[in-house]
Amino acid sequence: MPSHRVPSEADVISTVEFNHTGELLATGDKGGRVVIFQREPESKNAPHSQGEYDVYSTFQSHEPEFDYLKSLEIEEKINKIKWLPQQNAAHSLLSTNDKTIKLWKITERDKRPEGYNLKDEEGKLKDLSTVTSLQVPVLKPMDLMVEVSPRRVFANGHTYHINSISVNSDCETYMSADDLRINLWHLAITDRSFNIVDIKPANMEDLTEVITASEFHPHHCNLFVYSSSKGSLRLCDMRAAALCDKHSKLFEEPEDPSNRSFFSEIISSVSDVKFSHSGRYMLTRDYLTVKVWDLNMEARPIETYQVHDYLRSKLCSLYENDCIFDKFECAWNGSDSVIMTGAYNNFFRMFDRNTKRDVTLEASRESSKPRAVLKPRRVCVGGKRRRDDISVDSLDFTRKILHTAWHPAENIIAVAAANNLYIFQDKVNSETH
Amino acid sequence: MEFKLEAHRIVSISLGKIYNSRVQRGGIKLHKNLLVSLVLRSARQVYLSDPCPGLYLAGPPGAPLQLPAEPAAGPSAGWGEPPPPPAAGLETEPQPAHPAAPGALRAGDAEPATTVACARDTLQSGEAAAAAGGAGDQAGGSDAFPEGPRETRRDCRCPPGVEGQPGAPGAAPHGDCCAEDEPPAPPPIGPRKRPAAGAGGCGPAGRPAPGSTPVKKPRRDSEERPGRAEEGEEEMETGNVANLISIFGSSFSGLLRKSPRGGGEEAEGEERGPEAAEPGQICCDTAVLRDMSPWSTAIEAF
Repeated sequence: MPSHRVPSEADVISTVEFNHTGELLATGDKGGRVVIFQREPESKNAPHSQGEYDVYSTFQSHEPEFDYLKSLEIEEKINKIKWLPQQNAAHSLLSTNDKTIKLWKITERDKRPEGYNLKDEEGKLKDLSTVTSLQVPVLKPMDLMVEVSPRRVFANGHTYHINSISVNSDCETYMSADDLRINLWHLAITDRSFNIVDIKPANMEDLTEVITASEFHPHHCNLFVYSSSKGSLRLCDMRAAALCDKHSKLFEEPEDPSNRSFFSEIISSVSDVKFSHSGRYMLTRDYLTVKVWDLNMEARPIETYQVHDYLRSKLCSLYENDCIFDKFECAWNGSDSVIMTGAYNNFFRMFDRNTKRDVTLEASRESSKPRAVLKPRRVCVGGKRRRDDISVDSLDFTRKILHTAWHPAENIIAVAAANNLYIFQDKVNSETH
Repeated sequence: MEFKLEAHRIVSISLGKIYNSRVQRGGIKLHKNLLVSLVLRSARQVYLSDPCPGLYLAGPPGAPLQLPAEPAAGPSAGWGEPPPPPAAGLETEPQPAHPAAPGALRAGDAEPATTVACARDTLQSGEAAAAAGGAGDQAGGSDAFPEGPRETRRDCRCPPGVEGQPGAPGAAPHGDCCAEDEPPAPPPIGPRKRPAAGAGGCGPAGRPAPGSTPVKKPRRDSEERPGRAEEGEEEMETGNVANLISIFGSSFSGLLRKSPRGGGEEAEGEERGPEAAEPGQICCDTAVLRDMSPWSTAIEAF
């Protein structure tokens, strides 16, 4: 992301999300800002810039706040952005920090009226005696202006930190989840929400798990899933009861006792859950793996992919430097055949579910020159070492890809590394159609 | 032996994390503190159950060695054990010099009391973390061996056949499953109530705390009995850790209401730091208790 200021902590990207057509790409950062990119239409005149993303709009979504009652500062960091399905010329998105969700409307203005009878060009009232004839104002083109306005503010719904929001396929409601509760909102109503999941125990001493992510089913407006810090997924049906504390399905894999360590619980915590586009599968990310679950099978995932198993022997160091708490996201491609997730050293991994092949790529300035081809990377764990391999011990754990997004239809991915956004396109495929 | 060292190191690191979480921007992260408390619990289990002679566990004869075997007695009474009546549990702590008082945990030895207060202050912020750790332990049943509770808990993951039932436990912690499956296991609520009643004084809404100002009480104890640190050495070697661990399992529901007391507690914690250091250093003079020093060092950091 181009920045003319010295990059600071506030510029670190905290969420990335394509809209439903892939035309727009929104990013949120720790400073509470949202930057929207728009894909330039492919044109024959400028073949080099076909399909590239340029900045469309930037606005300040959230500001730091202070909760005086609890003496707590509320961070302005944008935790999640979700686009609403487009229903008219305007685009809308929800952005949330730890406590408050906001609905933003993004509109374009490319014409302005000229020729008023009572006002002059600057808007000052004319002297009526100078008006000798009447004219009909006409709309003249002007430079495109993108206007963003906050249409709704959904506040005071959460005691704990919001970790996810998800728009329902009914396009009228959405849910927001914090560590212990999930609320259902109507997009037009800000002064009340319905609590649909509450796992807060009567006695906080009995707390054993928290909600880590949640999402509505892409097609069934009554179904949603939420993941827990214990590594389980719960599919809930809102038709069954008003309070969905009883799950319809519980997806959980028994722990492998041979992998038991001090940190087993931490690495089994699910950091992200995503339904496939088909709605048949779910993708989860925990610290070392991504797993594909079939909604029809609760006992275990149908596929498990190792993201960076070489870290299993380093969990103690990763605990010390807090890396073990990093929350990586995961993503499906448009056809649900490839899954992607981030890792350390600015690496990100893709797994082809059909061919079972995987690739490790790096998001770096060197690799992102225009039309450069990404070179597959390899982490060697001892044994034969090839020339460009990186050893586990030289991985840079301060450079990590937590947030990734995949275009809903095409092979375009957005990868966030600190304050930089990398957008990679699979040109081979795009040239064939 | 190396497990013990590693476990000890992990405990120190975890304590540091919980402490640092208090000053993090944006407030306490419940999820992270919960995970840290789970690690803390695992490390503590390994530390206490590793049968290694020569370390602090070889203190008052009988009492610490009972740790792995006798869930109902011993200084680890506050951690994943069957729930004797609240006061009785505390009274079984190896502190013969201190007749049980209401909220006996708080009225414990001078040094443990101060360290307890120190830890409590810092751990107030790790509310659900430690609470969760303790609860998780409860879910695991008896604290026989480090693997024991974990295995129990894992085994009690509802088998697939149970999951699909509409009446399944749902979002309830697995502790409920475990409790049902093992009749001898303690009910999920129990030992945690004892220290909760004592420590924090801010139990979940509606629960009367025997001492409404537990934070102040240890300070009084430490001021009254600084000289008792030496006398209480013997008890302290086990009592200290036990009390510290009990605090981890105690209620931190004050987390959400921490703001009015947050500032005060921090100040008290810092004040108590140097006080705790002194008894700790006294302990260190004795060869047998030399191994206590890392604990004191860790606590001093608070």
